[in-house]
Amino acid sequence: QEEAQAIDQELFTEYKFSVDQLMELAGLSCATAIAKAYPASSFTTSQPTVLVVCGPGNNGGDGLVCARHLKMFGYEPTVYYPKRPNKPLFEGLTTQCQKMDIPFLPEFPAEAALIDELYGLVVDAIFGFSFKGAVREPFGSILGTLERITVPIASIDIPSGWDVEKGKADGLQPDMLISLTAPKKAAMHFTGRYHFLGGRFVPATLQEKYALNLPPYPETDCVLQLT
Amino acid sequence: AFPLPSLPRKQPTVLVVCGPAQNGAIGLVCARHLRIFDYEPTIFYPKRSPDPLYRDFTTQCEKMDIPFLSSLPTEVQLINDAYNAVVDAVLGAEGEAGEGREPCAAILATLKHVRIPIVSLDVPSGWDVEAGSSGGISPDVLVSLSAPKQCARRFLGRQHFVAGRFLPYDVQKKFELNPPEYPGTECVVAL
Repeated sequence: QEEAQAIDQELFTEYKFSVDQLMELAGLSCATAIAKAYPASSFTTSQPTVLVVCGPGNNGGDGLVCARHLKMFGYEPTVYYPKRPNKPLFEGLTTQCQKMDIPFLPEFPAEAALIDELYGLVVDAIFGFSFKGAVREPFGSILGTLERITVPIASIDIPSGWDVEKGKADGLQPDMLISLTAPKKAAMHFTGRYHFLGGRFVPATLQEKYALNLPPYPETDCVLQLT
Repeated sequence: AFPLPSLPRKQPTVLVVCGPAQNGAIGLVCARHLRIFDYEPTIFYPKRSPDPLYRDFTTQCEKMDIPFLSSLPTEVQLINDAYNAVVDAVLGAEGEAGEGREPCAAILATLKHVRIPIVSLDVPSGWDVEAGSSGGISPDVLVSLSAPKQCARRFLGRQHFVAGRFLPYDVQKKFELNPPEYPGTECVVAL
């Protein structure tokens, strides 16, 4: 977890990347990975509907960007974003989604069965690699419901609720994990079908410095399928 | 347009010429991604914008070990020999204002004579954004940003791409852009 935070710090302070830049590239990677693993034509729902659950921090921001790109790729995303930070970055991302006619749910579907009926996929953009400690409401109940759905879950960076290094055996079991920048230790406990790498912005020097040993991305793709 | 294995030179070198305004800044971002894609870009950015966002783009490129030339060779043969292609990010749709002024005028005079392919970002630098050009540079590839500009009708090069997949549907409709379908998850489409 500390290494991931250190890399991020270097990207912002030494390389002068803005959070906007990296969040946009990260969210785009997530949407691209989802499009590769779950093509719109493969959905059993009548429309390729996707529920994107966004948490209170940067992982939620990644989710907003992802939702926007999913819309452009022909999916029908719906966002649930209960705790919105008071910062221009997140307000901007929210506006971009709203102006693209992406609905924002006023409340979370009460029953797992309802989610299964309405959506073909759920994107978990609740907590990321900075997550520590206890899960606060409303996310505790949300995760409880998500643990009971049968439609696939794609988690951004870390399955929400998992310990960033040790995982969580009785927690969320996503079908897909999109690791951003580099896989975190928790990824070793991932047992879903699809593991993608996204966030193709780490300069070679940084990769060497932190001995990331990332396999090469194909051509100009912004994602790499690991499994 | 220029996949790595197709490049004629031993090293995948690309010269990215960046002007003083937004078109140049886009060139900086392009250079950074080219580096990530394993090309070897070199940047010529004589007149740097004071805009903090663009200054950060410059830092990102420098920290990624992308060299910045201190001067552009006036001997065109030197450019032809050292690079596989040139990215023209000198002037965009605001071109008319910048064209006559240095250093753009001298740069464009040199670029007119290079023999290696030129990729122009949005508008071939020096062209009038609507009428096109008489005697200006002749790019091999044009990448129209958001949507093709009027002068794109005069483009005679090999490939014309549109990069505008980020435009929301209602903006497209409002300006009657009628963009083509983008393949898969691609952010550019060849016209």
